[in-house]
Amino acid sequence: MTATPVFIICSPRPQVGKTLVARLLSEFLLLKNGRVTSFDINLKEPSLLDYLPKTTETADVIDTMGKMQLMDRIIVNDSVAKVIDLGFHAFDEFFKMTDEIGFMKEAARRGVAPIILFVADTDRTSARGYEMLQRQVPAKALVAVDNEFVVRGELPPAMAGGRVVAISALPVFLKTYIDRLSFSFTGYLRGEKDTSTELHQWIRRNYFSFRELELNLILQRS
Amino acid sequence: MAKPVVIVVGADKGGVGKTTVARTLLDYFSANNVPTRAFDTESPRGTLKRFHPDATEIVDMTTTSDQMKIFDTLNAVSPSVTVIDVRAGLLSPALASLRDIGFLDAAKGGQITFAVFHILGPSIASLDEIAETANFMGGAKYFLVKNFINDTQFFQWDQATYKSYFHRIKDATDLTIPKLNEMAYEQVEVASVPFLKFVANKGTQDEAANYSFVLRGYVRHWLANVWSEFDRIKLTDLVGAGKSTTRGGEK
Repeated sequence: MTATPVFIICSPRPQVGKTLVARLLSEFLLLKNGRVTSFDINLKEPSLLDYLPKTTETADVIDTMGKMQLMDRIIVNDSVAKVIDLGFHAFDEFFKMTDEIGFMKEAARRGVAPIILFVADTDRTSARGYEMLQRQVPAKALVAVDNEFVVRGELPPAMAGGRVVAISALPVFLKTYIDRLSFSFTGYLRGEKDTSTELHQWIRRNYFSFRELELNLILQRS
Repeated sequence: MAKPVVIVVGADKGGVGKTTVARTLLDYFSANNVPTRAFDTESPRGTLKRFHPDATEIVDMTTTSDQMKIFDTLNAVSPSVTVIDVRAGLLSPALASLRDIGFLDAAKGGQITFAVFHILGPSIASLDEIAETANFMGGAKYFLVKNFINDTQFFQWDQATYKSYFHRIKDATDLTIPKLNEMAYEQVEVASVPFLKFVANKGTQDEAANYSFVLRGYVRHWLANVWSEFDRIKLTDLVGAGKSTTRGGEK
């Protein structure tokens, strides 16, 4: 049985594009596998739940009950990929908890493959957050997301040295377009017949990156 | 034959976590393959017995017959380590009884290894017990256990108060029991199993259980911290056993 991937999209900073990545990834997994379960721990920012209400559940890590409800769901090897959109306010608490309960080790034991997608930024908080993750997460499971719209230049060397997924910047008018709650990436691919449009190519490029990420995961475990 | 070891866990104040510490000791010895028996003095119904029914016997330490049951069998039974969970308010009288029956002299003479884990509460009254208990401590290893189960700070913010109590007794060793997540603690209570079994996701009869992964993680992390304190004070050396290289709870 192949491992069930759990993608944790995170950053200790707000407004870096976590929910955008979570939306893209959730829609990609839904398109590819027919099933995905996403968790929104992002109550103070634009919410994944608003975009993908059919596949998204809310969760919190403020108290132990919330942590149990979330973690006991994602530690199961049930072949349904999970996506966690982790809000910046929950970053420290979540990874403190995963460290304490030995999440990475237990996940490996149970055939669950966590992949941490750290949405990069150039500030000190992000650098410290990434350092903390490097101590806790095996290098192969830690991926820096280079969101060109946020970083606007070179990634910090520490983050560039590991695995990176690049998300190119969209023109502002297209950004506004995809930010609509009713917008669906897969819906756009299906509906727009002209495959040469910038948005079409942007979505396909990102889906391809996620596909490579999954392929690496399979290769690592084989 | 190995020298008998008696470990008394007690406090004169209630609700400071005596039984919790006794349970961690039994788990620690179990993981280090040290045969251990335990006595629970919460007669007639003992809490320790509920968690470790096979190793624990309930006794009434105020009666001579039960004192004989514990101390006259020290050399006769195979587990060389005896853990006694002394119920609230009984520590000082129990130590006085041990003195009266010559047990403390035997410990002083090196015939028996005797250790006291004195569990402290957050109040000055609890700290006052230290002086009282210390009078009996000749020949014993004396451990002052600061149990942070209630998030207390033990007057560490007030160095004068702290020093006046904690540095009063020569050769006493401080020991810290960190706080365990409340829900995890409650879940172990409900499950009525040793901490080790809870971590291993097992029920009372070793059957597979379905405890929360998060709560098991919290207990595992906490237990590892408690055991590192026991390692720090070289508890296995004290009881005459080497530390096991692969302990059950650390797998």
